[in-house]
Amino acid sequence: MSPAAGSRRGARALSWAAAAALVALPLLSGKFATYLGVRVALLAIFGTGYNLLLGRTGLLSFGHGGFYAAGAYALGLCSLHLTAHPLPGLALALAAGAAAALVVGFFCIRASEVYFSMLTLAFGMLIFAVVWNAREITGGDDGLVGVMRAPIALGPLRLDIAGERAFYLLAVALLAGSLWLAHRLRRSPFGLTLAGIRENPVRAEFAGVPVRRYRLAAFVISGAYAGLAGGLEVLLESNARPTMAHWTHSAEPILVSLLGGLHSLLGPAVGSLAFVALREVVQRFTENWMLAFGVVLLVIILGFRGGIVGAVEAGLRARRAGRAAP
Amino acid sequence: MARKRVSRRRFLELAGKGSILAAAASMFPRGVFAAPPSIKGPIKIGYGTVLSGTLAGYGEFHKMGALMAQDEINAKGGIAGQKVELEIRDATMKPDDAIKTARYFVDSWGADFLAGIDSSGQALALGPVMQQLDKVLIVTHAATEKLTEEWVFKKGVRQIFRICNATYHDGNAAAYVAKDLPAMRWATISPKYEYGFTCWKMFQDTLGKLKPGTTFQTESFAPAGTTDFRSHINTILDARPEGLYSTEWGGELITFVKQAAEAGLFEKVKHVLFPVGAAMDVLEGLGKEMPDDVWISGRYYFRYPDNQTNNEWVARFHKRWNHYPAYVSETAYSSLYALKAAVEKAGSKDTKPVIQALEGMELDTPAGRRLFRKEDHQAIYDVPWGKTKADPRYPIKIMGEQKLVPASITFARPPFEGPGTRPPF
Repeated sequence: MSPAAGSRRGARALSWAAAAALVALPLLSGKFATYLGVRVALLAIFGTGYNLLLGRTGLLSFGHGGFYAAGAYALGLCSLHLTAHPLPGLALALAAGAAAALVVGFFCIRASEVYFSMLTLAFGMLIFAVVWNAREITGGDDGLVGVMRAPIALGPLRLDIAGERAFYLLAVALLAGSLWLAHRLRRSPFGLTLAGIRENPVRAEFAGVPVRRYRLAAFVISGAYAGLAGGLEVLLESNARPTMAHWTHSAEPILVSLLGGLHSLLGPAVGSLAFVALREVVQRFTENWMLAFGVVLLVIILGFRGGIVGAVEAGLRARRAGRAAP
Repeated sequence: MARKRVSRRRFLELAGKGSILAAAASMFPRGVFAAPPSIKGPIKIGYGTVLSGTLAGYGEFHKMGALMAQDEINAKGGIAGQKVELEIRDATMKPDDAIKTARYFVDSWGADFLAGIDSSGQALALGPVMQQLDKVLIVTHAATEKLTEEWVFKKGVRQIFRICNATYHDGNAAAYVAKDLPAMRWATISPKYEYGFTCWKMFQDTLGKLKPGTTFQTESFAPAGTTDFRSHINTILDARPEGLYSTEWGGELITFVKQAAEAGLFEKVKHVLFPVGAAMDVLEGLGKEMPDDVWISGRYYFRYPDNQTNNEWVARFHKRWNHYPAYVSETAYSSLYALKAAVEKAGSKDTKPVIQALEGMELDTPAGRRLFRKEDHQAIYDVPWGKTKADPRYPIKIMGEQKLVPASITFARPPFEGPGTRPPF
């Protein structure tokens, strides 16, 4: 047996064990930790989709809160007026996020760099203003309240997700699916083309790649992820609110991507964990948590190039290199 | 090779998440979860309010009141012989943060009761959450009538009580003040969100019925975060109304009043009503710049009622904090005393008996005698309206001529639908 194969098997066993630990977490810890786990999973889904755009395609959007809100309100309205069944709601949330991203993206991908960022910011805030002002439909600043978490019924099968643990497992499963899809996308010719566009859009254009269409596709996919995360949050918190579309919320996936590592699949997920856990810990020690939290984020982002995942990988590489040398 | 790298990263993420959360979980004390029927251990009260951002000053006032109540109760033997433990946490103004705070208090810290909450959106979002957590929440600031009408009365979320007055005071009671003023044409500059819309509508409905022929000609709604009110002020001045009604509050009311004074609005419009103008942050923030003869009110006014309980409390408060109590200080303070009274009456700190004890309970507080209405859990008590005037004894403007519109005739009545449920009765 080659050493590489051995370590691969070991890594696989370890990752299975870790996955089992993740699933067992709600059994071992308190309700609040489980609840935070769901928040981490939702932010991770949001961030993972977002990073397909930022890390992979090299586009910095400040408008993804808008797509998150589109998904949230789609699920909320569906649940309050059509059916409380979560599956059509989540499907609608995903579709709403993608559709909003398609419309916004159609205009935005024409611009590049800072112009692109500013346009997405403007569209995001436009969605915010629409949600805030369409009081009859969205409930204005009070938001949509009282969305209930109905069981997922599939024929004779009935999955009750009202409890924290069940909903945690659902969120983790959806996160796993999101990560798997992002992984496949990154490895596909499509994903590699996106990376090519990020490195040199002019060269990609000359190579015959329809750059705008590729960018739009990445934009729509990340919008769909945002919509799904938004829909899930409505199920978690039982309300949708306009601040979901605000640019301050759009900044969260950027932060977690930077925190975890832009150039890795797991970066945003790790970043989300660090983001939620750090805030929780800091808030326990000081009332001025915003200041302390900001400083900690700054140190991590400036101190670890390539984010947490990048730093850990670099460390492991250095150790491996050190061991390989006699 | 590629596969191995992904696995390792995945492993690190998973292991990291597991260990951090497990460590975090072990940090949370969870012992007081299932309280036995008899009262044991400290009475833990989680207080969520805004301690960051532009409205952090409100949170500070909440804190002063809540801390005072905790210290006074503990100095006199606690609640039913048990010590009160208070934890105050930043719930910001966002609904998701309020939910997280409530869950932290109950599921992690082991709170027996919750209090606080500033924004209406937060209060409404907490409806289903409080039902799920099954702990009593006493709302001390959020004023939306939907909380008590929809969640408590119609949907039966019995865990929520409100100790501060509701939008009824800002809309309906204001109309009772306005009806005696010689003004027939009214206008508004109000916040462009549910609170502003709701109060203006109540004001129009009630005043229209009390004084037929009154017209409401101009409305100018200012979005949250407005710092330049000049265009709104000009809109109003152009319309030349006789009366101005404004539910602007906090820092935005301060800015608005300063800019309106510059534009001469208070000379041109003789009758001005600020339903939340008697808030301490506004009175302190404007100081002598608050114009005279403006009608103001709030959820409590520190010089009313003029009795021993209130005057002594105000004196103690001023001595300890060097501020006069804001209305949120009073509601925070009284919320702890309401819980004390309820626990001692129920002989238990369990949710169900405490709810039963609070329903219909009458309680003497600095703001006067409060009654928790059984049907919708809204506290009924009177807060005066008054005309601003300077007083050499105070660095702030106080109420001169006062007018009391009893809550019993301005608060909507259950079942909140059909004739006879909205004022005038």
